[in-house]
Amino acid sequence: MKSLRRDFSSDPQTANVTSKVFVRSTKSGKVQKIVRELYLRQDIPCSSKLCSTCPSVAPADANGNIAPFVLSEHPAGTTAFPRGHYLVPDTNALLNGMDLFEHTGAFYDVIILQTVLEELKNQSLPLYNRLLALIKTDEKRFYLFFNEFRMETHVRRGPNESINDRNDRTVRAVAKWYTEHLRAAAKKGKKDKALPTIVVITDDKDSLRKAKEENVTALSLSDYVSGLEDSDRLLDMINESKEQRETKGARGELFYSEYYTMSKIMTGLRAGTLHQGVFNVSPYNYLEGSVNVAAFDKPLLILGRDNSNRAISGDVVVIEVLPKDQWKSPSTKIVDEEAVTKNDNPDAGDNEAVVTERERKALQEEVRQAHGKTTEGRPQPTAKVVGVTKRNWRQYVGHVDSGSTGSQASSGRRQQNVFVLPMDKRVPKIRVRTRQASELLGQRILVTIDAWDRDSRYPTGHFIRSLGELETKGAETEALLLEYDVQYKPFPKVVLDCLPAEGHDWRVPASKEDIGWKGRRDLRDLLICSIDPPGCQDIDDALHARPLPNGNFEVGVHIADVSHFVKPNNAMDLEASIRGTTVYLVDKRIDMLPHLLGTDLCSLKPYVERYAFSVLWEMTPNAEVVSTDFTKSVIRSREAFSYEQAQMRIDDPSKKDELTESMRTLLRFSKILRQKRMDAGALNLASPEVRIETDNDEVGDPLTDVKTKAMLATNSLVEEFMLHANITVAAKIYSTFSQTAMLRRHATPPPQNFEELINQLSKKRDMRLDVSSSRALADSLDRCVDSQNPFFNTLVRILATRCMTSAEYFCAGAHAESEFRHYGLASPIYTHFTSPIRRYADLLVHRQLASAIGYEGEDGRAVVEGVMTRNRLEDICRNINHRHRNAQHAGRASIEYYVGQALKARGEKLSGDGVDGGIEEDGYVMRVFENGVVVFVPRFGIEGVVRLEDFVLKNDSSLRSVEERRELVVRRESEFDNEEYTLQVSNKGHSDQGMSVELFQRVKVNVSSVKEESGRGAGKRRVRVLILGTEN
Amino acid sequence: MTAQRQASSASQTPHISPAELSYLYTSLALQGSPIRPDGRSATQFRPLTAETDILPGTNGSARVGFADGTQAIVGVKAEVEKTVVSADALKLPQQAQDSYAGNEDGDGNQGSRAGHGSWVQMSIEIPGFRDDDALPVFLSEMMREPLVESVSNGRAGNGEMTGGLKGRLVINRRWHWRLYIDVLLLSQPQSYPLPLLSLTTHLALLSTKLPKLKSQGEEDPFFDDDWNSAEYLYPRSTSKAQVSLFSSQQVRPPVTLLVISVGENVIFDPNREEIAVADTVLAISITRDSDSDSLKLLSIRTIDPPSRLTQPGVPNSENVTTLGSTATAEEAVILNTSTGEEEVPGVWRPRRGGVKRSIVARMIKLVLEKGGVGEEVLEGLEGVQVG
Repeated sequence: MKSLRRDFSSDPQTANVTSKVFVRSTKSGKVQKIVRELYLRQDIPCSSKLCSTCPSVAPADANGNIAPFVLSEHPAGTTAFPRGHYLVPDTNALLNGMDLFEHTGAFYDVIILQTVLEELKNQSLPLYNRLLALIKTDEKRFYLFFNEFRMETHVRRGPNESINDRNDRTVRAVAKWYTEHLRAAAKKGKKDKALPTIVVITDDKDSLRKAKEENVTALSLSDYVSGLEDSDRLLDMINESKEQRETKGARGELFYSEYYTMSKIMTGLRAGTLHQGVFNVSPYNYLEGSVNVAAFDKPLLILGRDNSNRAISGDVVVIEVLPKDQWKSPSTKIVDEEAVTKNDNPDAGDNEAVVTERERKALQEEVRQAHGKTTEGRPQPTAKVVGVTKRNWRQYVGHVDSGSTGSQASSGRRQQNVFVLPMDKRVPKIRVRTRQASELLGQRILVTIDAWDRDSRYPTGHFIRSLGELETKGAETEALLLEYDVQYKPFPKVVLDCLPAEGHDWRVPASKEDIGWKGRRDLRDLLICSIDPPGCQDIDDALHARPLPNGNFEVGVHIADVSHFVKPNNAMDLEASIRGTTVYLVDKRIDMLPHLLGTDLCSLKPYVERYAFSVLWEMTPNAEVVSTDFTKSVIRSREAFSYEQAQMRIDDPSKKDELTESMRTLLRFSKILRQKRMDAGALNLASPEVRIETDNDEVGDPLTDVKTKAMLATNSLVEEFMLHANITVAAKIYSTFSQTAMLRRHATPPPQNFEELINQLSKKRDMRLDVSSSRALADSLDRCVDSQNPFFNTLVRILATRCMTSAEYFCAGAHAESEFRHYGLASPIYTHFTSPIRRYADLLVHRQLASAIGYEGEDGRAVVEGVMTRNRLEDICRNINHRHRNAQHAGRASIEYYVGQALKARGEKLSGDGVDGGIEEDGYVMRVFENGVVVFVPRFGIEGVVRLEDFVLKNDSSLRSVEERRELVVRRESEFDNEEYTLQVSNKGHSDQGMSVELFQRVKVNVSSVKEESGRGAGKRRVRVLILGTEN
Repeated sequence: MTAQRQASSASQTPHISPAELSYLYTSLALQGSPIRPDGRSATQFRPLTAETDILPGTNGSARVGFADGTQAIVGVKAEVEKTVVSADALKLPQQAQDSYAGNEDGDGNQGSRAGHGSWVQMSIEIPGFRDDDALPVFLSEMMREPLVESVSNGRAGNGEMTGGLKGRLVINRRWHWRLYIDVLLLSQPQSYPLPLLSLTTHLALLSTKLPKLKSQGEEDPFFDDDWNSAEYLYPRSTSKAQVSLFSSQQVRPPVTLLVISVGENVIFDPNREEIAVADTVLAISITRDSDSDSLKLLSIRTIDPPSRLTQPGVPNSENVTTLGSTATAEEAVILNTSTGEEEVPGVWRPRRGGVKRSIVARMIKLVLEKGGVGEEVLEGLEGVQVG
């Protein structure tokens, strides 16, 4: 019997063909062996401008152009490589030092191997995307080299060679090839240039050794960076996790239990024994998290560090429900990380434990609570994190905890561990190694989390960059934008290239024969006006009303025709779809569309002709719609009013002109529409909003800028017609695009969301809240009035709003028609149509509506522009929902910051001696905890946590500074009644002199801005609320 | 009808005249040393060439070609499948949960390791036959049976093969591998294709690899995506040296040999003509016994010899054309010792009736004895470089 092995060496083609074999596991559980053939080629260019051969062989595109060469002729040199160098990083170098590679001071001319890119994709998708972005930008000169397809650099995996070894070998092979190739190519070109060194960056010791043997220049990332200028700062940007592990070695103690293996998790999830959801941390108690999973109505509680097992707020985690004897009730305490973990040492000492004694104590209280109570404190199911499916770690804004820098802070350049306190309270402090601790103190800095190992109490991360001094406007604004993931970079050139060439001189074509008039109705003779907040530049909407000969009225809503300027899928459209919405901060607006469009060409400014998209109704005098018409149009707004101006004009009986009359008609109709909506069960919800008017000069009380939003009749005039237009348009686009219409829904909140509030109301006020329908809820909310406390109703509405789910955009095919309902507006269908300048959803709806009415546009393509696949639309919905939420949060945070700053400015102005007296206001108790209460101050729209020491009792009213009050805490004692929502605060031994607060109660508070002077969290400014006394 | 006949007989009946049949029979039945048409000795195999791993897309594959041009390719594909929970195992979820808790009970339960014969599926394609024709069906069953029924005694060295191939296919209580063995005969069957197909299948299975399991215990299976770390279906001894010294230590799939008897002679690897005159055709499946160096008999199947369907020759004495001629008298009726029938020498008479026990015993002995044909074949196969 003869064994036969085919010998391929004689076949000249074999060198060109190779194959890649791997195992693929499909979702359905199938396991396949996949074989991919690879055809190797020799025309993949090296992309160095030094090379004389590659330009002639590089593959050309259909137009005969070859891709421009990336790597510079004169790459930067360092002391070690005076003739310049190209970098070839391996995967680990990128994993550990992506921030370095993004740094603009160094790391130019980098060759990224296809092998490395693919490996990075498998290890970290966010880093992969960042690297792709780097490759795309021209200035950093990153070249993606398809080494696997080039014959000379393709490396076949040897027998018994691990993938890692093979990939390391690939990197070295490429470096070698580049060296030889450049030498040969340069010689041929008779250029007598000094050739750059090819430097492999790898942290793998074995690879470094082999590189030495193979005569390839290789350096570890930190060695390379040490040779650069400004190395201290750059070194800080290297990912910490790797080093840490090495130095620590097997240093025993593991604080956290290990995550389950992937397969165990998958099995558990399929079997239903494990659950998956997003990990949320309570804003009041950093030790308490919750996970909403599909299998249960109520979120599962995750209590303590042990159970949250290294999950960070926002991570997608896998949890296991704990046995019933470990179930607990949700915490009734305010637990602040800064307060509890004050004395932690960032240089991981030996005394480090996951759960410190103090933390344990805090938890202990809760257990007692859970056992002692009946209905209220009924223990809830708790769970434990056993795995993390997806880390949603991002870059965090924070500041260095001055308490953690230790005594050697001044000694300068030594590397030391510090804690960074993230702005987001739900994120644990991050241990960062830095050489510049002293410089970073008092700065807003951006850090990222690299890892959270089992043997470390806190996650480790590294410093990325400093945003500037704490409390400076620039730093704090940028911090907000980063924290809420708002795209605030200026629009790139490709986007600006999409703007009309005429710029600000663009005009509606004068001749009606012009193509721009095609399909547009001339509505220039209508008396149209716009009503907006004062100083509004991006005017989305304008209105008109006029009587018709038959006694009915024609009412029109005219919306800026943004879709005329933003064509689908060009760079501007993509940028807008990513931004999703315009973000309004107190002193800054981050536009969704470039300035030129938003504030000029699209904006329905008065006295000029503008393109618009109009919705016209014929209405009876009772505001019954007779007919509806949609059309693209040209309008000329007669006036741009602010709400106040419009109100004054309407109220002024001397004005009898047509425009004023039409506004009166609109107002009358809006009242009827509003009544109809209320009758249908629309909710009148309240959110704690204040408005900041920044145009005030420096003199006077800065706090006068802070105004609670006043509701004028004209506000509601505009609002009603916008709602009406949105509803009308929603129905129209849904009838045309039953699967892909862009709609907005507000899901009916599950009744259990209201349980707590219902309970509180019935206990404290003997009021009933009926949540069976939105109508019932609206009615019962109306009945929640307290004659002595006019704000009480608003407070209840604020609380009720928090029990609801948030409204969301969706694609019609994603839900059944019965689920389209907008709960808050009591409308069966809804969308956003009226603000295309500042919301991307509206822009899409415009395109869909244009398509639905058969508008062809200038080039006849408008009909198809509205058509989109459902998948793409769902992606967009997901993004804009996220952006929308973030924009709201950013706006609120901005106001909050401004209020704090105004309080601070006032404090500084009013008190020469530096002690801030604060300002006295009314506050309302929103939540009662065992060791404090949450008070809402409507004047500033802020919520403040009032701890025991911040209750001003009779004998300590003179003590005002933070330190003085802090000393009080040891003397304070409290009695908390979970059933009755009351808290009795007193000094020890003097329970008769105490103060008692209860839920919904109005209290006198003192609001001031204070800065922590010492101890942990030093340097952090916060708004402090002191309770001075209670009323009634 | 034709298919039926072809299937039950060992091969298509060659168109050979009764006289030729008789001549063949006589030379093969010669006492002591049979004379075979191609000059081989009774135990000699036709030369063949073999290679493995020829199909990159399969888990394992092999090609074997005989010198006469017959070639077969076998590809083995493996797929993960959920085990249908039987009634007595309905408490599984509970057990599965127990194992999360940490006490991996491993292979403790032998019952769960047993596996099922239906997890190995074999399909044979022979040119000119439909896949539901009797010959391919019969052949595949004949090869599948020893494959799934061979159970090694599980010496310490190869615990993985406890429970034989079926046991190897068990991943855990809820999951198993399903093997698809696709056999493709590339040419018209020149002779009964069983030995060729069996040898090819043997080599293909030897080269078969399964992705390396990364999950443990009762978890849903989860595999290493590196094909290089995949493990052989029939595990190898770790060191190469050991393999060459004690090749028997490695568990190997069984092989099925075709043996015929003609008269008192036992002939191996018969070609078509030889089968046409055989008294008995046996398919003998053997494997190495992992406990000892000896061979183990797994199954014997008799195959209906095609000689039964041949037309008999007519003795001169009965032939009308030669009736009364002188030659008739010379024909003496003699008794064929192996069949116990009376025959006229030189006149073909289809075989009827059974085979003697002693001959069957001798056939088995020749296969199984030390240094016998079976060992020779297996050693030959072991010489083929796999993987």
